[in-house]
Amino acid sequence: MRNVDRGAPAALELFEPLFEPGTIAVVGASAKGQGPGNDYIRNLRSFGFQGPVYPIHPTADSIEGLAAYRTLADTPEPVDYAYVAIGSEMVPSVLEAAGGRVAFAQVMSSGFGEVEGGADLQQRLVDAAHRGGLRLLGPNCLGTHSPRGHITFIDRAPTELGSVGVVAQSGGLGVDLLRSSGRRGLHFSGLVTVGNSADIGPNDLIDFYLADADTRVIGLYLEEAKDGRRLFEQLRANAAAKPVVILKGGRTRQGQRAAASHTGALAGDDRAWDALAKQTGSVLVEDLEQFVDVLLALQTLHLHEHQPTEDVVLFGNGGGTSVLATDGLDRRGFALTTLEPDTVRTLEDLRLPPGTSVVNPIDAPAGSLAADEGRIAEAVLAAVLDRQRPGAIVMHLNLPVIVSNTDPTVDVPGNLVSAALRACAGHLDETHLILVLRSDGDPGIEERKRRYRGQAHDAGAPVFDTLTEAAQALASVRTVERFRRAVWPQA
Amino acid sequence: VSVERPPFAEARAERRTALDEHTAKKLVSGYGIAVPRSVVVRDETDARGACEGMTPPFVVKVVSADIIHKSDVGGVQIKLADADEVVAAIADIRTKVTSTTDRLEGFLLEEMVPAGHELVVGGVLDPQFGPMVMVGLGGIFVEVLGDVAFRICPITPRDAMEMLHELAAHKVLTGVRGGPVASEEAVVRTLLHVGGHDGILVDLQDEVAELDINPLIVTDTEAYAVDVRIVLTETPS
Repeated sequence: MRNVDRGAPAALELFEPLFEPGTIAVVGASAKGQGPGNDYIRNLRSFGFQGPVYPIHPTADSIEGLAAYRTLADTPEPVDYAYVAIGSEMVPSVLEAAGGRVAFAQVMSSGFGEVEGGADLQQRLVDAAHRGGLRLLGPNCLGTHSPRGHITFIDRAPTELGSVGVVAQSGGLGVDLLRSSGRRGLHFSGLVTVGNSADIGPNDLIDFYLADADTRVIGLYLEEAKDGRRLFEQLRANAAAKPVVILKGGRTRQGQRAAASHTGALAGDDRAWDALAKQTGSVLVEDLEQFVDVLLALQTLHLHEHQPTEDVVLFGNGGGTSVLATDGLDRRGFALTTLEPDTVRTLEDLRLPPGTSVVNPIDAPAGSLAADEGRIAEAVLAAVLDRQRPGAIVMHLNLPVIVSNTDPTVDVPGNLVSAALRACAGHLDETHLILVLRSDGDPGIEERKRRYRGQAHDAGAPVFDTLTEAAQALASVRTVERFRRAVWPQA
Repeated sequence: VSVERPPFAEARAERRTALDEHTAKKLVSGYGIAVPRSVVVRDETDARGACEGMTPPFVVKVVSADIIHKSDVGGVQIKLADADEVVAAIADIRTKVTSTTDRLEGFLLEEMVPAGHELVVGGVLDPQFGPMVMVGLGGIFVEVLGDVAFRICPITPRDAMEMLHELAAHKVLTGVRGGPVASEEAVVRTLLHVGGHDGILVDLQDEVAELDINPLIVTDTEAYAVDVRIVLTETPS
């Protein structure tokens, strides 16, 4: 790894109680079993949190079967993390009562700086947190997800400890990301929603993720820079050692107004964000789908900083699909690798059925892909990799077409995926393997896809739903690779 | 070269919101940016004497805190061949600007720089990201097409080169259709003097709210700041 930030150990130490809390207090659970705090306690349990949980309540003695306490100062042990979801007016006095016994309080309540006339209350909140001797997350957010600490804020959250560290200014967007985990295979080292960032801001968490050994990729959903200067300096010093993907909300004039009422974000010069990305090797994406795609690619691939990805071999079924995919790659500046005569000869020698094209794009109808029950993919890709090192191989399979047109007793697409993974296994440091598994939404097809995806991700090949998404993500991967090659000292 | 501390305090004491052109040019010159040789003269007699030690052709510009867009009010004359033409130009400018200003401070007499590409280099202070530097090609490219590149300061040589290459009109600088070639190296040097780690915008961010070099005339070897405007921050820290 490259230059480690001098503040790194401090950030790790500061945030340990947040990402791996030993004790948790919950403000906003009721004896009747209703309230956001009750849901939170249930989610903690099902997520496997083993430490003590202290409900805080002015009158109840027991909540969710747990002994309740009057204030944050009354708990048997000091609190690492307090989850606070009560009416905004009541929050400052609750925090002030902590008496230095709470490390972090995350305030979900809204009605602070993001609403007209809420700035004063937000200031009171910050002052109260200061007097209570704690660090504040939020207000106006949804929580923290940390697999290593067994804490989360939604039901059915993904428990796997991954490598993607996220800071989200929007709580709802954080939920969307967590939900995408199951469908897309994104795995998080942490996800913190920061809302209005009245005290702890994105910059502080970026320090943590940059220093954190579990985090290899950082994703930021931001509606304002907060401390833009510090952000620039942090990301510049990082120099894409940990790739950073930024989804900036409010980049248009109307979007900016929406952001102002959402998290109280201040307007800035939008052109600064493009500059920031270019100068730091960060990837600036436009929407949530692209955010997930790029994070997934960076999570799964080994980046090629010595030889950035510039050319692609396309292999799969669907003639029109191959043509459109070629257009999509060309528009993003990728070349289709020219296959050498010997490579083409080897491919011809495989004697694939008529209708198969063995120049790049290698276009093989379902019948051809079914050769050797799908294991043909290994011979095809080996023919390429024996002589050439394209930047990437994109294998696209139209699953319903293949399933409908091949022997139903044989798992042809599964064999194709396994064969491709085998063929590329020793070459991933030079040639990325990207899979595009197209589905028609049929439950049986989706179930297969889920299986293939898990297998591919474990082997270092990310799976996308469409060729456009794959091309976009690959272009972002190239952005990071090119930046590293230009800026990192060459070994 | 010793950099004279810029007279911001003086400008503020005079309640100016910007440095006058001559002072601004001296400032950027102190940071290594090429500027035309110039002198401020009070009147025709003064100008005639000053022409002695200078090389024609000359340019004469009005000096007045009231006048920002000098050419719009007839306050600039170029391609003056000798002292006689300079004297005539001064008289002419004085007549033209009397309706615009009653604070005529004098005239800037300059050696005219060689012909070249006209670029614009600017700097602004972003409320979130601090100083930012900008470059574009002059005229319609900047004004109509918005073809500009921005970076956050301090920029590196690589940033500066990328800025130039990212302009849609970049090819024009390489000499298309028999046009002249601009020295990219000279532009990069200028951008670094403006926005580099020891450049003007970083060094003087407490004082400089806005910097505008327009035009920066770029020949095949050098880039000259032909007009420089420096707007002061409202309150220096």
